[in-house]
Amino acid sequence: MSTSARTSTSPAPDRKLRRALAAGLALVVGGLAVIFWRAIQDSDWAEPVVHYIIFDGLPGTLKVSAAAVVGSALIGIVFGTLLTIKFLPLQGVIRLYIEVFRGLPILVTVFVVYFGLPSVSPGLEFGALTATSIALILWGSAQVAEATRGAVASIPREQHEAASALGFGWVGRHGFVILPQALRRLLPPFVSLLVNILQNSTLAQVIGGLEMLEAAERQNERVTAIPPIGLGEIKAFQIFGFVMLLFFLISFPLTRLAARLEKRLV
Amino acid sequence: MRGRFLVVSMILAVTYDLWAFVSENREELVDGLVNTLKVAALGIAGAFVIGVVLGAARAHRVPILSQFTVGYVELIRNTPILVQIFMLFYALPQFGIVFDGFTVAWLSVMIWGGAFNSENFRAGFEAVPHRYHEAAAALGFGRLAIFLNVTLPIGGRIALPSSINTYISVLKNTSLMIVIGFAELTTTSLNISNLTLETTESLTVLACVYLTLVWGLSALIRLLESRLALPETR
Repeated sequence: MSTSARTSTSPAPDRKLRRALAAGLALVVGGLAVIFWRAIQDSDWAEPVVHYIIFDGLPGTLKVSAAAVVGSALIGIVFGTLLTIKFLPLQGVIRLYIEVFRGLPILVTVFVVYFGLPSVSPGLEFGALTATSIALILWGSAQVAEATRGAVASIPREQHEAASALGFGWVGRHGFVILPQALRRLLPPFVSLLVNILQNSTLAQVIGGLEMLEAAERQNERVTAIPPIGLGEIKAFQIFGFVMLLFFLISFPLTRLAARLEKRLV
Repeated sequence: MRGRFLVVSMILAVTYDLWAFVSENREELVDGLVNTLKVAALGIAGAFVIGVVLGAARAHRVPILSQFTVGYVELIRNTPILVQIFMLFYALPQFGIVFDGFTVAWLSVMIWGGAFNSENFRAGFEAVPHRYHEAAAALGFGRLAIFLNVTLPIGGRIALPSSINTYISVLKNTSLMIVIGFAELTTTSLNISNLTLETTESLTVLACVYLTLVWGLSALIRLLESRLALPETR
């Protein structure tokens, strides 16, 4: 019997396999969590490290991510809807915006916002976390705009015509009829965007913004220092492993949710 | 007329500055660009191989390998690549494994790209219609021959657009190597900007080079895609 024969025919073993895999994965993650918990309780060096990462680092990550998600959603939906208007100069400007900020590595956008803008005008000086949020909004709104354009274009013409017949103008037609339908289709990409933004908020570390990775890096340096200050031992695996685990625990449910939404809504 | 003259002179003034900046720092910038391209090329090649092998393992349910692949893909997709780079660069030496900057650079983008790519290729391989396998089996092809002659050429083309996006992301992620101080393009131009204080110029050049690379790569590969498109989708 050929193994390839099984790939696309029966769904039953597929579901079984998936369940087994999920159970295995849960076991591995749970095991890791237990190991980390034991390690924290057994050693006196780990407690302040974990405390600092969770109580000083995590809020930074969450703040940057929340601002970036809300900002990209608002700007992206407006730009994406405007992109469906057949007016060349407007389309050209928004296209350029999308292509530039999707084309640049986000880190370069972060540098442009953090180092570039203040050198253009001193009023445009931002803190590290704010600069990262702005860069993530520029990138994220470009992603959302592209997705919104597709979603709006996928709403049948009849919906536009029916709304016009009821006397809605362009704004009312889009605000009350088209966008509410398009937003449903945007839900899965939004969840993926949230995961991407959470992970890319670590870019603040490069410019010294205090989020989880920067907190871990500071603790790593302190722990590695010679005895009166630190341990004089490298504990990088445990420290960065803990950050990895935290990110995994936040992102994994979200990626599952995105996959499930995609199946249900499309 | 006056407006046009103003615009032209402004463009000249700006570009003259940029050209002066580029020619003054040409050697460093070219070295940085070469390093970026080297890391990206190694990363993309590795991501392609990992993607095909592990994608095939998952599509064909190869016992242990496919479970390993699921764990690997979920771990890489759900953690930031920056943390992965830190793990390779700072945590592995704890176990006596020390890599230099260049190795960490290509290894980390390769591992990252491979995870995303194995998912792309899995979807591609699974989308190959079942009747093609049956036709090949009826012609007496073995399992490996079916994979190499039927699943890979057809599924690979189905996976092409999504894997291209992964390669472009690999190229963009090489900019993260600034955290380990590896002298690729971003690190180089940030260093130049710190030395000469020509921040605007160096960031403009940096952005232009990345946009040229990314837009060029995507245009080139879209061309390839249309050449390789399956007859029924063309």
